Amino acid sequence: MNGAVTLSRRGLLKAALLAGGAVRFGLLLPGAAHAADEADVEVTSWILIQADGRVVFRIPQSELGQGVTTSLAQLLAEEMDLAWGEFDTEYFDAQINRVRHNVYVHTATLNSWSSDLLFEPMRLAGAQVKAMLLSAAAAQLQVKSEALHIEAGRIQHGASGRTLGFAEVARAAAALPIPPAASVKLKDASQWQLIGQPLARLDTRAKSTGEARYGIDVTLPGMKYAAVRQSPVFGGRLRSFDAGAVMQRAGVIKVVAIQGGPTGYTVPETLWDIIDWQMDDAVAVVADSWWTAQQALDALPITWDEGRHAKADSASIATALDNALQQAGQVMRSEGNVDAALAEAARSVEAEYRYPYLEHAPLEPMNCTARVDAAGVEAWAPTQYADEALRIAAYAARRPLKDVKLHLTMSGGGFGRRLSNDFVSQAVQVAAALPGVPIKLIASREETTRRGYYAPVAAARFKGALDARGQVSAWHSHVVYGRSPVQPYGMSRIPFAIDNVRCEYSSIDSPPPFGWMRVVAHTQSLWMNLGFLGELAAAAGKSSYEMQLALLDEARLARDRVDYDDALARVRRQKTLLETVVQRAGGARHPQAGKGRGIAVTDMSYVPGYRSSCVAMAMDVALDGEGRLQVEKVTAAVDVGLAINPRNVEAQVEGAIAFGLSNALYGQITLRDGRVEQGNFTDYPLLKMMAMPEVEVHILPATGKPSGIGEEATPVAVAALIDAVYAAGGPRVRALPLAAQKLTRRAV
Amino acid sequence: MSTSLKVNGREVSVDAPDDMPLLWVLREQLGLTGTKYGCGIGACGACTVHFDGIAMRSCQLPLASAAGKEVLTIEGFSAEGRHALQQAWLDHDVPQCGYCQSGMIMAAADLLKRTPSPTEAEVRQSISNLCRCGTYPRILAAILDAAGKLRAGQAA
Repeated sequence: MNGAVTLSRRGLLKAALLAGGAVRFGLLLPGAAHAADEADVEVTSWILIQADGRVVFRIPQSELGQGVTTSLAQLLAEEMDLAWGEFDTEYFDAQINRVRHNVYVHTATLNSWSSDLLFEPMRLAGAQVKAMLLSAAAAQLQVKSEALHIEAGRIQHGASGRTLGFAEVARAAAALPIPPAASVKLKDASQWQLIGQPLARLDTRAKSTGEARYGIDVTLPGMKYAAVRQSPVFGGRLRSFDAGAVMQRAGVIKVVAIQGGPTGYTVPETLWDIIDWQMDDAVAVVADSWWTAQQALDALPITWDEGRHAKADSASIATALDNALQQAGQVMRSEGNVDAALAEAARSVEAEYRYPYLEHAPLEPMNCTARVDAAGVEAWAPTQYADEALRIAAYAARRPLKDVKLHLTMSGGGFGRRLSNDFVSQAVQVAAALPGVPIKLIASREETTRRGYYAPVAAARFKGALDARGQVSAWHSHVVYGRSPVQPYGMSRIPFAIDNVRCEYSSIDSPPPFGWMRVVAHTQSLWMNLGFLGELAAAAGKSSYEMQLALLDEARLARDRVDYDDALARVRRQKTLLETVVQRAGGARHPQAGKGRGIAVTDMSYVPGYRSSCVAMAMDVALDGEGRLQVEKVTAAVDVGLAINPRNVEAQVEGAIAFGLSNALYGQITLRDGRVEQGNFTDYPLLKMMAMPEVEVHILPATGKPSGIGEEATPVAVAALIDAVYAAGGPRVRALPLAAQKLTRRAV
Repeated sequence: MSTSLKVNGREVSVDAPDDMPLLWVLREQLGLTGTKYGCGIGACGACTVHFDGIAMRSCQLPLASAAGKEVLTIEGFSAEGRHALQQAWLDHDVPQCGYCQSGMIMAAADLLKRTPSPTEAEVRQSISNLCRCGTYPRILAAILDAAGKLRAGQAA
């Protein structure tokens, strides 16, 4: 590719060095792209040594704000005996990961998996590189490896006082075989200097000076800008457009048709046949500024074949959900005899719950920069899955995988949206129409909002029974989702000790394509499950908290359950967290009239034996006579197994609470005439500082290995909010968002 | 269509349509990408700059309105990023994704200029910028912290 590099990577690094451990932006520069600077030595796929001896870590995940660059660097630095900040970081290269057969183990950034799945591999990688450096140094100094250690960023021979810089042995180290995992001993937890410490994030300085470069900031010589519009109706096809109507405008360069196709997240290779990840046909206008391109696009006459969803609207989707609820669903869990228990019930309760489509709404709109020429495809993408972005870029340009260079950039939020690499396909298709010209494609906020991969709509019907003693004797749920892969776990994995349980599952064929959103199906299910449990509790004269505790009773778990051990562990853990959070909050009830304390707990168990974090929350709200709601304070207790960085765990819990509150209070995507009605933050509002509660996070002492904490607090916040509204004298909320309904106080 | 204005203390002349929002002039013509596009309708505040000393949303300012004006962006906000607000951002580990933070800092600086000793409620009312990651508790604490340090600095 062309070498029009105005800043050397080294120059950039110098600026970064001033800040101590820093994120390298070198990969954002053209030409600096293909692997490292020549002077850098790649000791293994994970770690480079620069000519000046500086260590560079490759981070095999996307930084979306979750702090993964920092927490994963802690793992490598720990095993290499580097002090905090004695290194730089850069993102992994998806092409390297491809040709080296997934050497980075787990690169898709989803499911809060990094701290769990990469905990061993990254410590091992650090230990291996340390062993290789010491081995090379031992040969050079003619001493035994065991006589050497790393301290103050150098290799030290304690007996003689001799030292070596990493650069002096890097080449020799890189030539050594990588020691097999079995031969490398990882540090014992008692020796950890960095793991478990509340270290400062590595990227804060860059993110408070404007220096941080996101995908949307990529700037290349000769770059042009594209604005994009997909079919406004889901599943629509492009029929024609009148380019002549805008080509006369100053600055407009070309109008390009983009073909719809597969774009989504797939593991490990392609599941395109199984999940219908659809990006529809689109049109892009290319101009010498993005604003000019967007203005021209707005004026461009386009004719769409709107297809079978042309008349779809939210009412027709609601009707389809209703109809599905009338039918029997697929039984996903069945224990005991629900029908008999309902027939014999002292009291029974029935209710229906509803959940709207939700948009991820990361603040950085969808974008990607690409250049296609005879040599191949080069793309710069703020994506959550660079490996898939590479495959999509190749597919979009009809080039072999080996000819694609994919630069992963920093992302301005993700929340699952950037798993669908539609923006990569679009940018590469436009770039292919203008060979050699770098194209920065940006979807406007409106386009980003209207062509999301939304968390699907859902509706659920519950039936529950209380026996003569006021115990829950039967639980029957039936959930129906809008178009999605089968994801029954949110409903069927309720942890409670109930003898008679049946969970049914259905889905409908609704227009918007499916998307994973932070917390996936737990997001729809937890507040519905706990909301209905609150209804049963009220019928039994109990609070939701009292009923949760009563059903997290290990003595009531049926011994003959096939998953007894798992069920027992979950019940114990959730009960401990519930009791902890209530103690920390100072009681289960809010002491003041007109205010309420809502309490909820969950893990994120998908299948028996699944490792996840567990979060309990006490949420305090005030509800006045006019129905005005203010969330005042949240107390959270979290069990993450082991907090690699407790400070970051706190930040993730705070942020996940804000995400949950924003969704529950305001979030709603609706359809009319096949089109999404919302477009920007005026009609798809996000939580503001005014509405953000005080948050207090209590992390339980470490018990073992780390598990992720990007998600659990979100559904717990929603469930605690719904409980708190009721506890404050408000209505029983059975649909979201709250802003769409009047929160009239109940007659007492 | 050449428009002259002062950006971060430097006189610049820009050839762009009069109605192009200042946001895009800053980002594309002047290479100042610290100012972000989030919504284009003045709702999110990611594009906040100081316009003749007042925090404004640059996506709502046509280039023509900036002729002869002084514009300050995050890049010109402080020497070496050492403003008390930026230090407080570090001390409180404020950013997550960080995309909104340039705008947040510019909005906070304007608030502290007008209200050097804001109450918590005043900060909450004044900062209407959006942060999807939910860093609000830290932004709030950092602004109050920086306000205290700025007052102490002036008193010394």
